[in-house]
Amino acid sequence: MTTAPADAAQAAATPPGSLLALGIRACTAYGREDLARRLAAAQRALNDPSIHVVIAGEFKQGKSSLVNALVGATVCPVDDDVATATPTYVRHGEKHRAALILDGDPPRREDVPVDQVRRYVTERRGAPAGAGPGPEIPVGVEVRLPRKILERGMVLVDTPGVGGLGSTHAAASLAAISMADAVIFVTSAAQELTASEVQFLRKARAACDTVICLISKTDFYPAWRRIRELNEAHLRRAELALPVLTASSALRMHAVKAGDREINAESGFAEVVEFVSGRVGGGVEQRLAEHVRDEVLAVCDQLTATFAAERAALLDPAAARRIVAELERTRQRVESLKTSMARWQQTLNDGIADLTSDIDHDLRSRMREVTREADDSIDESDPADTWAEMQTWLRARIAHELVANYELLRVRAGELSENVGEHFRAGSDGVLGQLTVHSPEPVLERTRLEHKIDLEKMKLRKQAMVALKSAYGGTLMFTMLASMAGIVLGPIGLGIGLVMGRKGLREEKQRQEKARQQQARNAMRRYCDEVTFVVGKDSRDTLRRIHRRLRDHYTGLAEELARSNAAALAGAEKAARRGRTERESRVRDLDAELGRLATLQSRARPS
Amino acid sequence: MTATEPRMGEGLLDRTRLVLDEALVAYRGGRYESRLHTVRERLSAPLRVAIAGRVKAGKSTLLNALIGERLAPTDAGECTRIVTWYQDGTTYRVTLRPREGAPRQARFAREEGALEIDLGGLSHEEVADLLVEWPSQTLRTATLVDTPGVGSLRAENSRRTWDLLAPDDEDTPADAVIYLMRHAHRDDLNFLQAFHDRQVSAPNPVNAIGVLSRADEIGGGRLDTLASATRIAARMAADVNVRRLVQTVVPIAGLLAETAVTLTEAEVAHLRRVADLPARTADDLLLSADRFRERLPELGLTSIERDALLARFGLFGVRLAAALLRRKVAGTATELSEQLTERSGLRALQRTLDSLFFERREILKSRSALLAVDSVIRADPAPAIPRVAGAVEEIIASAHPFNELRVLASLRAGWVTGKPAVVAELERVIGGEGTAAHLRLQLPAEASRAELVAAASESLARWQRRAENPLTRYELSVAARVAVRSCEGVLAELHRGRR
Repeated sequence: MTTAPADAAQAAATPPGSLLALGIRACTAYGREDLARRLAAAQRALNDPSIHVVIAGEFKQGKSSLVNALVGATVCPVDDDVATATPTYVRHGEKHRAALILDGDPPRREDVPVDQVRRYVTERRGAPAGAGPGPEIPVGVEVRLPRKILERGMVLVDTPGVGGLGSTHAAASLAAISMADAVIFVTSAAQELTASEVQFLRKARAACDTVICLISKTDFYPAWRRIRELNEAHLRRAELALPVLTASSALRMHAVKAGDREINAESGFAEVVEFVSGRVGGGVEQRLAEHVRDEVLAVCDQLTATFAAERAALLDPAAARRIVAELERTRQRVESLKTSMARWQQTLNDGIADLTSDIDHDLRSRMREVTREADDSIDESDPADTWAEMQTWLRARIAHELVANYELLRVRAGELSENVGEHFRAGSDGVLGQLTVHSPEPVLERTRLEHKIDLEKMKLRKQAMVALKSAYGGTLMFTMLASMAGIVLGPIGLGIGLVMGRKGLREEKQRQEKARQQQARNAMRRYCDEVTFVVGKDSRDTLRRIHRRLRDHYTGLAEELARSNAAALAGAEKAARRGRTERESRVRDLDAELGRLATLQSRARPS
Repeated sequence: MTATEPRMGEGLLDRTRLVLDEALVAYRGGRYESRLHTVRERLSAPLRVAIAGRVKAGKSTLLNALIGERLAPTDAGECTRIVTWYQDGTTYRVTLRPREGAPRQARFAREEGALEIDLGGLSHEEVADLLVEWPSQTLRTATLVDTPGVGSLRAENSRRTWDLLAPDDEDTPADAVIYLMRHAHRDDLNFLQAFHDRQVSAPNPVNAIGVLSRADEIGGGRLDTLASATRIAARMAADVNVRRLVQTVVPIAGLLAETAVTLTEAEVAHLRRVADLPARTADDLLLSADRFRERLPELGLTSIERDALLARFGLFGVRLAAALLRRKVAGTATELSEQLTERSGLRALQRTLDSLFFERREILKSRSALLAVDSVIRADPAPAIPRVAGAVEEIIASAHPFNELRVLASLRAGWVTGKPAVVAELERVIGGEGTAAHLRLQLPAEASRAELVAAASESLARWQRRAENPLTRYELSVAARVAVRSCEGVLAELHRGRR
C-alpha cells in the first residue's frame, strides 16, 4: 500500500486517460468485463468528445468565411449570392474528406468527393421557395480535415442564416444551440445589431451558457470601431453580458496563404482561436475529466463491496452463514430489478405512455392555435396579395411551435428519467451496502459508506442523461426541418384575376377574393394536418427510442449489480469452506486488492 | 375610334381633373374639401417618388446621388428619423410640420454638405414631417421622399414607421416607390419586410421598382463585385414573389454613386497618389481599411485626408478609383466621375426610372389621385352623388392605360399564363418595359418610323388572332384584347406624328 501523502500528490497529477486505463486493467483482472465495458464507453467519450461550437447569425454575415478562416482552408463554400442551406460539421480527421449525413436512425453517412461539397451545402439555384426537396437531401454535411484546432474533438457547425427571429431557420438554430457547447454569433461591421438579432441573442443566451458576439468583416468597414461601441451599448441595454470580439476572415485567409504573421495579428483571430480552443475546449475537457473520475469511482465501489463481503465472511466464520443468507436475499431483489415487474420498469412504461399522449395533445393544441391565427389573417387579407408572405409566416410559425413542443418533450423526458432513476435506486438501495451493515467488524467506516451511496445516486442520473441525449441528439433539430420541408404547402388557384368592363368591377373582385380566401384556408388546413401527422409520428418514434435507451441503460446497471452480488456471494460461500491458513492468506490477498482499489479511488477522487 | 383618343395619359389627367372638380362640388364645405384640393393640385406638380426600405439600406445615400448633392445626412448608425420631402423650389427653405400646431419654417445649416435642421426645441416624435425646398434639376422632374426604415433597434424609429403602416386614410402620399433592399435570402422574412414599409404606398408592380442597394459590399470589395451584384439583382427580379411587388430590380452602389456625382478635384488628386504606387504596394495598402488609414506614411496623405477618402468612397471605391486611374481608364476628374457614375449603377437606375416612372407620370399621378377620391367616397359616402363614384369607377375600369396596368399586374401575379414567349411579348406590348413605341415593339431606339409601323401592324394582327382564337384561354384572350388596343394606340400615335 502506498502512503497517504504520496496519494494526494499523485491524485492531482493522474490524467483521466491513465485513470481509465488503470480502472479497465483492474476490471479485466477481476473478470468483470461488464464494468470494463462501462469504463471503455467513458474512454470513447473522452477520446472523441465532440465539442460543438455552433456558428449562427443572419444571412450573409460571413459565417462560412469564419469557419474557413478558423481552419485556414476553404471547407465551407462561400458565394456572393448563393447561401449555405445545410449545416456543415467540420471536425478532425487524418485527411481532408467529406461525407453526407442522411436522415435515418442512426443517421447514415455517405462519402462524397471533397470538391462536391458545394453541391450539397449551398442551396440550389432556381428552386422555388418552399418547394419539395429532391429524393436525397442530406440533413448535414461532415467535413474532416487535419487541423490542430480541431484535434481535441472540436466540431465547428456552420449553419444556414437565420433570417430574422421569426423564420424557420431561426427555430432550427435555436434548437441546435440548446445542444451546443458554445455559440459564436456573427454580425458584420456593416451595420449595428438589429432588433431581431438582439432578440435572437437573448434566446441563444437562455439556451446556451457560452455565447459570444463576433463582429466580422472589419477589414472592409472603416467604421467597425463605432459599430462595436454601438453594439456593446445595445447589448448593455438588453442586459446581455456577452464578450464582443472583432475579426476579419479575409485578412486571416490572406495571412494563412502568405504566411504573414503581422497580417494574422491584424485579423483579430488570435482571440477567436483562444475562445474556441481555450475557453470552450478547456471547459469541456474539465467536464469530461469529472465524468471519468465519477465512473472510475463507481466501478471501484462495486469491486470494493464485492471484496469487502468476502473479507467479512473470512474474518468471522460465524457471521459467514448470515452474510451468505443476506446476499442470497439481495440476489432475489436484484433479480426482481431485472424483471418487468420492477417498480422502475413500471414507472418507465407508464411514464412513456403518459408522455406520448401529452406530447401529442400539446402538438395538436399548438397546431389548432396556429390554424386559428392563420384563419384570422386569411380573413383579413386577400391571399392574392399576401399568400407568399403567408406561406413564409406559416412555415416559420409552425417551426417555432414544433421547437416548443420538442422542448417540452426534452424537459419531460428528463424528468421521467429522473423518476425512473429514483425508483431504480430505491429498488437497489443498499444492495451492496447491506452486508457491511450487518458485518460484526465493519471494513469501512459508516460515513464513507454514506458517501458511496450518494455518489451512486448522482452517477445514475448523469449516465441516464447521456443515454437520453443520444436518443434525441442525432443531427439536432435540422432533421425535423428537413422532414417539414418535404411537406408542400400547395399553391392556391388564384382564379380569374383579370376582369375588364366597367360595371360590377368591385363586386366581381370581392367575389373572387372570397373564393381565394376559401382556397387558402383549405390549403393551410391540409398543410397543418400533414405536419401534425408527420411530426406526431416523429415524436412517437423519438419517445420509443428514449424508452428503449432508458430500459437498456437500467437493465445494464441491474446486470452489473447482479454480477457484483453474485461475485460477492461466491466469495462468501467459498470463504465458509476454507481452512484457517488458507483463510488468512486469502484475507491478506483481499487486503492487498482493497488497498489497490483504495489507491485508485483516492486518485480518482477530486483533491 | 382609337385615332381620336388623345395620346396615352394626357387625356387621362384631364378626365381625372374633371372627376376631381365634380367631387369638390359634392364635398364643398365638408371636412374632405381641403384634402381633395391638395389632390387636385398634385396633378400639376412633379411626380412624387418615395424611397423606402429597411433601416440602413442606404435610402438617404441614394437620394443624395439622385439629387446630385449631399443634402440628406448619412451616417454609419441609424440616421434618418423623420419623413423628409425634397421638393424643387425657388429658394432654399425648410418647413417643419409638427404633429400638433401649424407648420413653420425651420432654421438649417449645412454640415460638410449635409443639411442640419434645427427642430426648434421639438423632439423627433413631435415632428410629423419636414419639407425641404431646394432648387435642383432632378427635383423639377420628381419630388423625392426620404423615410426612416422598418426594423430599427431604436424603438421609437420603428414605432413611427409602424404607426404609418396602417394610415387612417388610404391617400398614399407618393405616386411611385423605390424599394431599397439589401442582399437577402429569398426565404428571409426581412427581405419581404422591405415591402412592409407601406407608409408611402403599397407595393405594386405598377408603381414600384426594387433597388439592390449597397451593391459594393456584396463580394467583400473585389473589383468584379458589381458584376456579381447585377447577377443577383437579375435573380431577385425573376423571383415570383418579387415580380408581384416590383417591376424590376437594379443594383446600385449608393455611396459610390453619391461620391461620383459630387467628386472634387482635391479627391482625385489624393486618389492619384494611391494610383501612382506600384500595384503590389497599393494592393498591400488597400488590404484593409485600417491599413489604408495607418500604413505608408510616405504616401503624403494625412490621416484626416485618408479618413475622408474612406468615408466618401468606401474601401471598394478607393480600390476601384485607384485601379481606374492606374490603368488610365480615366484621366481627369470629369472622366473619373463619369466612370464611377456608370459603374455604381446610378445611370442604369436613372434610365429605369425614366422609362418606368417618368414616361408614365400622368398615369401614375391619375392613379393615386383617383385612389384618393375613391377612399374619400368610401369614408364619407353621404354627400357623394353616385355620379362621382360612377365617374371614378368608369375611368379606372375603362381607361386604356389602367387596363394595361391591370394586365401587367395580373401577368406579374401569375394570373395570366401562356407560352413563355407569348407572355413575354404581351408584357412588352402593354408597356411593361416602358411606354415608348420601340420598347413595346422590341426594336432599337433608332428604328425608323416605317419599321415601327410595320412591326406595330404585324403585332396588331397577331394579337387580334390570339384574342379571337377560341382555343385561347379566357384570361389570355382578355389580355390579348388589351394588347390589341395598345397596338392600335401605337399606330395612331405614329400616324399623328406624320401629320
